[in-house]
Amino acid sequence: MPLIEIIRQAVSSLAANKLRSWLTLMGVAVGVFSIIAVMTTIDALDRSVESGLASLGANTFQIQKYPATVFGSGHRRNIYVNRQDITWREAQMFRKNMEQKARTIGFIISSQANQAKSGDKTTNPDVVLTGGDEHFAASSGFDVTIGRNLTASDIQYAKNTAILGSDLREALFPASENPLGKQVRIGGEVYTVAGVFTKKGAAFGQSQDNFILIPITRYLSHVNEKSSLEITVEAWSQKEYARTLDHAIGAMRLSRGLGVREENDFEIRTNESLVESFRDIKSSISIGAFIISFMALLTAGVGIMNIMLVSVTERTREIGIRKSIGAPKSSILRQFLYEALLLSLAGGLIGAAAGAGAGNIVAINLQLPPVVPILWAAVSMAVCSAIGVAFGLFPAWKAANLNPVEALRGK
Amino acid sequence: MPSNAVITMQSLSRYYEMGDQIVKALDQVSLEFLKNDYAAIMGPSGSGKSTLMNIIGCLDTPTSGTYDLNGQNVADMDDDELARIRNREIGFVFQTFNLLPRLNCLQNVELPLIYAGIEPSERRERAESALTRVGLADRITHRPSELSGGQIQRVAIARALINKPSIILADEPTGNLDTATSHDIMDIFGELSGAGNTIILITHEEDIAHCTSRIIRLRDGKIESDERR
Repeated sequence: MPLIEIIRQAVSSLAANKLRSWLTLMGVAVGVFSIIAVMTTIDALDRSVESGLASLGANTFQIQKYPATVFGSGHRRNIYVNRQDITWREAQMFRKNMEQKARTIGFIISSQANQAKSGDKTTNPDVVLTGGDEHFAASSGFDVTIGRNLTASDIQYAKNTAILGSDLREALFPASENPLGKQVRIGGEVYTVAGVFTKKGAAFGQSQDNFILIPITRYLSHVNEKSSLEITVEAWSQKEYARTLDHAIGAMRLSRGLGVREENDFEIRTNESLVESFRDIKSSISIGAFIISFMALLTAGVGIMNIMLVSVTERTREIGIRKSIGAPKSSILRQFLYEALLLSLAGGLIGAAAGAGAGNIVAINLQLPPVVPILWAAVSMAVCSAIGVAFGLFPAWKAANLNPVEALRGK
Repeated sequence: MPSNAVITMQSLSRYYEMGDQIVKALDQVSLEFLKNDYAAIMGPSGSGKSTLMNIIGCLDTPTSGTYDLNGQNVADMDDDELARIRNREIGFVFQTFNLLPRLNCLQNVELPLIYAGIEPSERRERAESALTRVGLADRITHRPSELSGGQIQRVAIARALINKPSIILADEPTGNLDTATSHDIMDIFGELSGAGNTIILITHEEDIAHCTSRIIRLRDGKIESDERR
């Protein structure tokens, strides 16, 4: 029997029980939906990760108390929390120990969730107050768009100058107004705007431009909230990068007074380490989504088998008639197998389309470019085919092997 | 063996095991049907006529004995070979019609040709001419549920004829029909017989059996009588 006839028959049999067919294929659709939605979101994140996570400048790394992401909780988190903060004194010692082995060494300290005010405008309390030095811009990948950067003298004399991130500037000043020389109040202190940074854009839906930079010396003497310093090191060149990293670790151990056998009590953050930690998260989520979807698809497969067994019982007479007019076993087998396969693939297609849609809605909300998860859709279709065949085979085999005399006597 | 024998059965038996008992549904039956035979098989229920019909129709195989259909020994064939024989050599007409309710008349009649691997255009042509032959040219797109019992049985006869089978096998073809319609159907069988078809029908109605030219009576799995008229 030609393939086209079998498919036509399968469609017509499924159409005869529309509600039942829909319910069965929805089971498959839900399973496929969950994995496609998660994978589409992750793929969208992945695309923006290279640019979004490469937040440090070229040939630059950071030394800080916490790793870029803390994945897990309890014991692992406590290790980091219990570490001593990196202090200003340690930072100064580090600079001394590094001698001339790096192009620039910068220090950053910041506090989250501040409210900034200028004139009659007040921002949400989500502004980052950053204390830094003249090297902050280069090592963090920012350029100055209006005005000037912090200078060595700003740092030396702990001046109340500030450079605004572009989002904060938009929040406080209309586009027509020149913010240079204006006063901004934050953390109980007033600063004079000396410059504005270029826009870097969002990473993971979070703005990287909603901050204010003040001289680190000013921060340490006037801001009450004390936290751990971050040290930013720029190597002389790409070639020197690895050697600089080694020197920096040695210099930091010395500054922290670590013994030979003690482990580092600080973290090195590079652009690569961020991407790597994202990949860790991504693979964990992928595995989780895959397991959940697999379970859902297994359940859907059992549903398909169940409905196909009912169908074989209901259509015993039809099978008898077909056999009496000369249908070979293989033809009956394929007829029922294709019905199962069709249910499974139709469910898979619906799930994949809905999942890609939902994943992209999430992506767009996170301001990420939409993606078409072709690979995952293909994998899902393959898995659906396998499930259709695996769970359709037994009912189809049962149908094909019915005794024609008894089948004709059936209902 | 005469050259015009379509079916030759020798010492054919079919036993069933019912618990620890063996039921001899057919016991050492030898029969021969010639080309253009128009025969009725009669007998009380339990006489083995359904079993005989199933074996003649290749739906079942005998426990022992030989069954030659057009020179092919059917007794030893496997399921798929039997399916092919049913498709090519046998046209069934059932008491309960056995059309597929979701297909229209044309699709029902075409079905054996699909399993025979005939092209769609030829299928349609042959199915239409078969339906015309049984007087249903104007009903080809109707579904069985839209037809009367006599019309449905005529569709079933058209389906049985479609592959030009060696024998047409009818199991109580008028059992679900009223007297007038039964005579219409028997007229069609009479015409088909006149056109050279070999027809075997099973019935328990004497007047239906008397439309045929040969009456075989079974009792307790054996042939009681076999008369040509």
